[in-house]
Amino acid sequence: MKIDITNIATIVMDIKNHAKNNAVSIAIAENTAIEINDLILALNKANITFMGAVFPKVVHNNTILEKGIVLNTLNNLENLFLIENISKKNHKIPPVVFNESENYSLITYVDGLTANISHYLEKLYENYGMKTNYFGGGAGSLTLQQKPCVFNKDGFFEDAAVLSISKVTSRIGVKHGWKKVDGPFIITKSEGNIIQEINWETPFEIYKNVVEKHAKKQFTDHNFFDLAKGYPFGILKDDAECIVRDPIAVNDNGELVCVGEIEENSLVDILNGNTKTLIDAAKNAALESIKQAVNPNKAILIDCISRVLFLEEEFETELKEITKTLKNAYPNIHISGALTLGEISSYGEGFLELYNKTTVVSLFES
Amino acid sequence: MKIENHIQDILQLYEFGMNIGRTLDYKKSCDSFLKLLLKRKNLNAAYVLEHNNAFIKSTYSIPLGKDINIPLTAKIKHRLNEIKSSVLLNNTAVFSEIITIPMKKGSVAIFNLQNNSFLVLYTNKNNLSAKDLSKLKPIIDKFSVNLEACRTFEKQEKLLKDLQRQNQELNDYAQLISHDLKSPIQSIEALTTWVLEDHKEVLNTDGKENLKLIKENVEKIDTLVKGILAYSTIDKTEEKNQNVNLNVLIEDIIEKIDTPKKINLSVPKNLPNLRGNQSRLKLLFFHLLQNAIQFNTKETIKIAIGFTENDTFWQFYVKDNGNGIEERFFDKIFVAFQKLEDNYKATGIGLSIVKKIIEIYSGEIWVESIVAKGTTFHFKLKK
Repeated sequence: MKIDITNIATIVMDIKNHAKNNAVSIAIAENTAIEINDLILALNKANITFMGAVFPKVVHNNTILEKGIVLNTLNNLENLFLIENISKKNHKIPPVVFNESENYSLITYVDGLTANISHYLEKLYENYGMKTNYFGGGAGSLTLQQKPCVFNKDGFFEDAAVLSISKVTSRIGVKHGWKKVDGPFIITKSEGNIIQEINWETPFEIYKNVVEKHAKKQFTDHNFFDLAKGYPFGILKDDAECIVRDPIAVNDNGELVCVGEIEENSLVDILNGNTKTLIDAAKNAALESIKQAVNPNKAILIDCISRVLFLEEEFETELKEITKTLKNAYPNIHISGALTLGEISSYGEGFLELYNKTTVVSLFES
Repeated sequence: MKIENHIQDILQLYEFGMNIGRTLDYKKSCDSFLKLLLKRKNLNAAYVLEHNNAFIKSTYSIPLGKDINIPLTAKIKHRLNEIKSSVLLNNTAVFSEIITIPMKKGSVAIFNLQNNSFLVLYTNKNNLSAKDLSKLKPIIDKFSVNLEACRTFEKQEKLLKDLQRQNQELNDYAQLISHDLKSPIQSIEALTTWVLEDHKEVLNTDGKENLKLIKENVEKIDTLVKGILAYSTIDKTEEKNQNVNLNVLIEDIIEKIDTPKKINLSVPKNLPNLRGNQSRLKLLFFHLLQNAIQFNTKETIKIAIGFTENDTFWQFYVKDNGNGIEERFFDKIFVAFQKLEDNYKATGIGLSIVKKIIEIYSGEIWVESIVAKGTTFHFKLKK
């Protein structure tokens, strides 16, 4: 469900009517003129169970919304948790008792601009393992300034994550469409999200040589992101697409600052894509989820905001391809989602990872 | 297969290899390698099993699951012994006791890690092949060596902690005893002196002799208590290191040693200035010199001190013409409270204090001796 109004009382009434007695997941576009803390107070007063996050943009059917709220009911909700201090790595994942004969889905929204998100995801998998499907994305502002971005009944938080566990079957498709230009290279030195060496050399020198040769353009003092947004890194893995990492800046030491961590000694390719490969991949993510689904009634799309920055107006085509593919298979399906700072899922139910520049489609059967 | 695929395979092994042996912490070692293995090979679970003769248990698992800790039956032991290197299973029924993951689909690989331990990998897809197992084997072997190093390190750490705790308890006990004994010893000594002086007219010869014996034994106990206190606190002094002039220090010691005999002391004038704790160094030379004087029945006591040096150590000797020590006692003399002679003034703690001080300076001490001719103590102190 989409809400365009900004009057808190009306929003809460709409949410209550929509959710009935269910809990809700609330995705809010960052430019929405709404005071989140007031919304939290009003939702608590109305006895609504909720979790939510602020994203650069949200999605409803075919439409990208710069302002607005998108709701999803959390049917058969079992648990709703807030995990604080993600960057400090000292958080505890609450224990959950899973029934072996049931299917579960975990949705998590994490501060996409905080450090050590991969550690948080590792801890989730360590504790809940194969007992649930995982799905979610990084919240925050497109200005890349860290500020409160996830919320629940206890408040509005930064450096935190919210997560829900529901007794619901989900079918997930994950694709990105970026293709290898050159590699593999070894990340011989890194710290968190900063690549300090590639093949024992200054990383920007290696990256610049490959990108400039392929793009037939030169890096200048001012165009790093314009050129780099089309040339992400891909961390290599077996039997699955690589994990994309987005270089967003080069520092004075020639080190590359990425969105998301890159472990030391990782093998990476330098990738490139075009409108066709990316849109085809997004469609394939939708097809992959459809292939596994039985009778879904709801689709949630988590798509990377940097795909919008790369595809620009063509992103609408990507969104239309996804919705068309889903509607062709299931005409009555409700589609909503968010454009995020990092995407969360597990390829083929494997280990949980954070992606960049990727499309994740999840179909829910409830 | 393209050459670039071979290169990628080799580089992946490089990546795995670089994540092994980064720490000697067992859990961190498993985290570092096995989480990477799950991510890169797109697997679902990994755990390590170890067994002794009685039980088999899981010592690490990702994701965390129900701990395995079951009796090691002959059947399980036999089946595990059959895995010489590794095995890939699509049906785990024969291992149902130790593979508790419900296997609806996929496969399980079991690697023999040697030393009675095994690594289990699970995938719910069919993405592990016999070739993968062969490819991973050298890396898993390296991981196995790392785990063994972690176990050894943990045992050493535990042993070290136990030793430190026991030493601390012994030192605390020694300090407590010596402090508590000091006061009554001093009282007995004073009272004995008063009785001898105030009642010398009424005491007969036997009474005076017995009181003298009491006084001598009390003095011995006092020396012993001081020795225990010195031994238990010698490594805890907070005095700062300084430059210590050994010529001055030895002169000072000789002046304070109380003996009616003539001492012929030979000391080079160019003894070095040592950087160290003055009180400790004084105790070190005091006990060696006292030893040379105390256990010497010759009319004239001859003592010679000398030294040499190299880049890392000062090496000294203290030589005397005393009673000498039989070779079979060479080790015993440095153990606290071990006495070779029934000398009432000897406490048997002096040379153990000397050894402890030398060890504080990362040095060593040894002895050469000929009975009735004399003894030479050699010792090294780190510069």
